[in-house]
Amino acid sequence: MAAQFQLEIITPTQVFDEGAVDYLRAPGVDGAFGVLAGHTAAIMALAVGEIKVVKGSAETTYAATQGFAEITENGVQLLVESAEHKADIDLKRAQDAYDRAMDHLSHKHDEAVDEARAEIALKRAINRLKVAGK
Amino acid sequence: MANLKDIRKRIGTIESIRQVTRAMKLVAAAKLRRAQSNMEQARPYAGRINGVLKHLLPDIDRNTHQLLTMRPAKKKAFVVFTSDRGLCGSFNTNILKQARTIIDAVGKDQAQLICIGRKGYEFFNKRGYDVVEHYADFWNELNFSHAVKMAEAVTSRYLAGEYDDVRVIYNQFKNVAQQKIAEFHYLPLVLEEDDEVITQDYLFEPSKDEVVTALIPRHLNIQMWRFLLESNASEQAARMTSMEAATENAGDLIDRLRLEYNKARQAAITTEILEVVSGAEALVE
Repeated sequence: MAAQFQLEIITPTQVFDEGAVDYLRAPGVDGAFGVLAGHTAAIMALAVGEIKVVKGSAETTYAATQGFAEITENGVQLLVESAEHKADIDLKRAQDAYDRAMDHLSHKHDEAVDEARAEIALKRAINRLKVAGK
Repeated sequence: MANLKDIRKRIGTIESIRQVTRAMKLVAAAKLRRAQSNMEQARPYAGRINGVLKHLLPDIDRNTHQLLTMRPAKKKAFVVFTSDRGLCGSFNTNILKQARTIIDAVGKDQAQLICIGRKGYEFFNKRGYDVVEHYADFWNELNFSHAVKMAEAVTSRYLAGEYDDVRVIYNQFKNVAQQKIAEFHYLPLVLEEDDEVITQDYLFEPSKDEVVTALIPRHLNIQMWRFLLESNASEQAARMTSMEAATENAGDLIDRLRLEYNKARQAAITTEILEVVSGAEALVE
């Protein structure tokens, strides 16, 4: 059996303890990266995206928002503001959020802040739809 | 002596009030449990973010990050946490009194207020303070996105230069019987130094600076979330305690009225017997 490492996904409202896993793929700010056991200690900023966890032949995906990964010799902790298990994603809500964000962006608003917020909301919605649709 | 019917009516009224206060106490207790478990769940996340930031900040040039730069604090903002509803003892009164003292020390014209919870908004708005933002009607369905929304609103005004310093005034949850009013320096970001030495040597991806840039908003969000949770837990604890006292007082009052009622009844019976007896004696003669 290949070497495994401990993985925890920690959000402000929930902790997903994945236990020992074989492989993790997380959405870094500059693109997705993979982690195997024995990775060097690192702190990586995460973007909105999909977290994939491989445990033996089982595979789990989460839709996650911004945060960071802390990799130490004891394992990996993903600290993200929200993470939803693929099966728990509310498709209708994600679609609504998508429509709302699109609507917001298509009507020009003068406030740059609002636009930035809508863009992030849009990213989150697209990510949820993508993860759930797989 | 009050008449029997009046006393009976008062006992009835107090009994129904006692039912209400008892129900409120039970509801507050249930909400308090939920708030406490939320606080428990937020702890690991908050702890790690704080830990990593503490580890990073000494290496970072404060002037490269707007949220870290200390600028001369000409205009100050205060975020005051209160509840939407009353009947929770002196919870709101205490914090508003203290907040007002702190704000008046800075000067009413130099201070902008962000009121979280209706009671604070009503209080400061009525007294002519500059309330730039207020939130209400969310405590019942409190979730993390509220914290994100508030943190972003406070931060964007700070970045726009509307104020140079943000303090948070909230009720810290010590335990069920004890809530402490606390003041917290929210922006620019300062972290208390402690002696926790992190020996781990990390690789930073994409770079130290960018990790910090990504981390600061996360930190501000989770801090805001912590204030919301602590304030909410404190509110429910205060309500629970005061409603318990109210229920007890209603019980005492009912006991006293019962005694009075029985005395009045006795007196009425005695009078009636006297009347009957003297009436009968008058007939015999």
